Amino acid sequence: MSTTVDRPAAPPAPHGPHEEPRGVVSWITTTDHKRIGILYCVSAFAFFLVGGALAGAIRVELAEPGRQLVTEQTFNTLFTIHGTVMLFLFVGGFGNGLANYLVPLQVGAPDMAFPRLNALSYWFFAGGGVLILLSAVAAAGGGAAMGWYAYPPLSGSGFSPGVGPDLWILGMALVAASSLLSGINVITTAFLMRAPGMTMWRLPIFTWNAIVTAMLGLVAFPPAVAAFALLFIDRRFGGHVFDPQGGGDPVIYQHLFWFLGHPEVYILVLPFFGVITEVLPVFSRKAVFNYAGFVMATLAIGALSMGVWAHHMFTTGVVDNPFFSAMTLLIAVPTGIKFFNWIGTMWGGRIRFAVPMLFAIGFLLNFLIGGVTGVMLASAPIDYQVSDSYFLVAHFHYTLMGGSVFAIFAAIYFWFPKAFGTRLSEAIGRWVFALLFVGFNLTFWPQFVAGLRGMPRRIADYPSGLGFETPNLLSTVGAGVMSVGVLLFLVDVWTAFRRREPAGDDPWGGSSLEWATTSPPPHHNFVTLPPIRSERPAFDLHHPELDPGAGR
Amino acid sequence: MRRRASLAAAPLLVFGATACSGAFGMPRGATEQGRDVFDLWQTFFVAAVAVAALVYGLIAWSLIRYRRRRSDDAEALGAPFRERRGLEAVYVAIPLVIVVALFTLSFRTGQRVDDLDPDPGVRVHVEAFAWGWRFSYPDLDLTVVSEPSGPGVDGPELVLPIDETARIELVSNDVIHAFWVPGFLFKRDAIPGVIQTFDVTPTEAGVFQGACSEFCGLNHAYMRFTVRVVPSTEFDAWASERAGASGAAA
Repeated sequence: MSTTVDRPAAPPAPHGPHEEPRGVVSWITTTDHKRIGILYCVSAFAFFLVGGALAGAIRVELAEPGRQLVTEQTFNTLFTIHGTVMLFLFVGGFGNGLANYLVPLQVGAPDMAFPRLNALSYWFFAGGGVLILLSAVAAAGGGAAMGWYAYPPLSGSGFSPGVGPDLWILGMALVAASSLLSGINVITTAFLMRAPGMTMWRLPIFTWNAIVTAMLGLVAFPPAVAAFALLFIDRRFGGHVFDPQGGGDPVIYQHLFWFLGHPEVYILVLPFFGVITEVLPVFSRKAVFNYAGFVMATLAIGALSMGVWAHHMFTTGVVDNPFFSAMTLLIAVPTGIKFFNWIGTMWGGRIRFAVPMLFAIGFLLNFLIGGVTGVMLASAPIDYQVSDSYFLVAHFHYTLMGGSVFAIFAAIYFWFPKAFGTRLSEAIGRWVFALLFVGFNLTFWPQFVAGLRGMPRRIADYPSGLGFETPNLLSTVGAGVMSVGVLLFLVDVWTAFRRREPAGDDPWGGSSLEWATTSPPPHHNFVTLPPIRSERPAFDLHHPELDPGAGR
Repeated sequence: MRRRASLAAAPLLVFGATACSGAFGMPRGATEQGRDVFDLWQTFFVAAVAVAALVYGLIAWSLIRYRRRRSDDAEALGAPFRERRGLEAVYVAIPLVIVVALFTLSFRTGQRVDDLDPDPGVRVHVEAFAWGWRFSYPDLDLTVVSEPSGPGVDGPELVLPIDETARIELVSNDVIHAFWVPGFLFKRDAIPGVIQTFDVTPTEAGVFQGACSEFCGLNHAYMRFTVRVVPSTEFDAWASERAGASGAAA
């Protein structure tokens, strides 16, 4: 289905002093937010392939009872690094990349507020990622194998003596520093570098979500870095902060860690709520429904997410379960508002089922399962049963993989033509979507069943005869289907760069400012800016016959 | 149209099929406390299915009713409305009412599950260690402890009398573990430096699987145990037979 519409061509981008430098060195030394955004997204996707390979090994090992592929020690390293890579390096990194690429374009700015700081934050991220990968293979005393939340005393020097955990801590600290710098940049850019006419209440929803994500990072990462630093002191300099033998308290670590860990969940999903809110209206050919409600719901989610961390600790018996249960359940309200707003956005539209829209619909279908199971987990007594079981594993994969990762694919198919000036294939994209959607649900739906039947997470092996075999085998088959989908996606990218079919400046009929410049945009983004009279400046530019802001 | 909607609901039907008669995949809870959690689970599950059915229905309706048809002008735009204030108030209010109701039910169940009996029938001291369990009955002077764990090694057996409240004191002296009996719908973390106290009141005889559910290092997967619930007379016979045999394997 071709969705290109005839519009007057934009004037060719002026060349000369603004011509893009070429070559590897120009990419390493770049301070251009678009290039840094692309570096983030490409690195994050490479981390996704690494994390996916680790997940594949986990699924092969668990396909049937008994040990087939790896030792217990290796298995423990596999899921530790899989979790860390997927959360902080892939989903987090990709969200940062999108914010880097899109926020200056969407607010009508030539670049981020602090371009060099921006480059520094990318290189912190890349360096931290490399350290985390090294922590898996660090030979002296074994790789990091303490789970991605590294609870002491298990992560202490007594039980994890190798250098793996140290490298992991340093890598995490660098990634956290990168998030802080990037967050400062995003907030400053969105607050202070908006084009004339771009009021806060006209910012695209993606940019709003990037702002709230950045704020969460600014509040949540410092305590986690403190926890990592204290853990490092305990490990290497004889500290006893988390060591009960020396009068310390391992529960304090859990508080500090989840004070990051839960907002982190929203750091990993809010940018992608933003992506979905950009994609749905464009392919419904409508304005966003209830714009102010979206912004308020995002702010509410951000605020509430700072007060729910101990719902990860219901089974510790040392936190106020009812308080954290209530706060967690409350988050269902703004999340529900978003769902109804998304439906309202599609309602009355002229929906085109292009590939970004398919992934956005997949996001809605999957994320809802993650949401309603999240409500179950918010109840402390139910959590006594399902916490740390495969039910929990299935739940968070429905939010993070079925949700955020589907939104990442929606984002790639949506903005690829803008970033590279060439389109991915609609035909291949449909297959990628079908394989990922079927494979995803086949992988993770059976894990709900396995969890309810009593299968704990993070086990290298499981006994036969307890009803775990069928769900695990289905899961492994599903993981295989998903990997075919990912490989097909790589083929799609490869052929798109070979074909180099010009995408046009606005292939989808977009709303926000990035669709009012060339594809790819010139060095400082805009040759001329259109007048900004509503939250849809590119749409207004292409539809001068309509009254901006009509329909309120 | 109806077919599409039922396609969207297919995963739920599959889940329903795996559940046996209203349990929705969950064990029914072989203790008083577990049965309470099971009832709460049923309520939460039905609420989740109702909400999911409504939202999936609305999504399916929008996608089918408002899809672009071949006859549509390629340039045609959707309806121009952007807000419906009254409707928005409704969909803020309804989820709020649902979560307040769910919280109330969950809070009450939580209080009953966490409640401690002033006069428990039997007391068991459970020590989790890497990688096994030590169950001691301080009033009976007997201890059951794990063989060294590994693939295919049976864990120790915790024996409890039926219909009597068992007071469990759970500790760990190395890393964090968790005591989980899926058939009881209950787990609690064993944290070094913390003495965890909780009650279970088994209501069904039988053997129940147990496992460590907090990752605790190399042999975490093999840190299993069983719970055997027996009538009181059988429990007394077992206790007198085992009394003094502390330290021996189960």
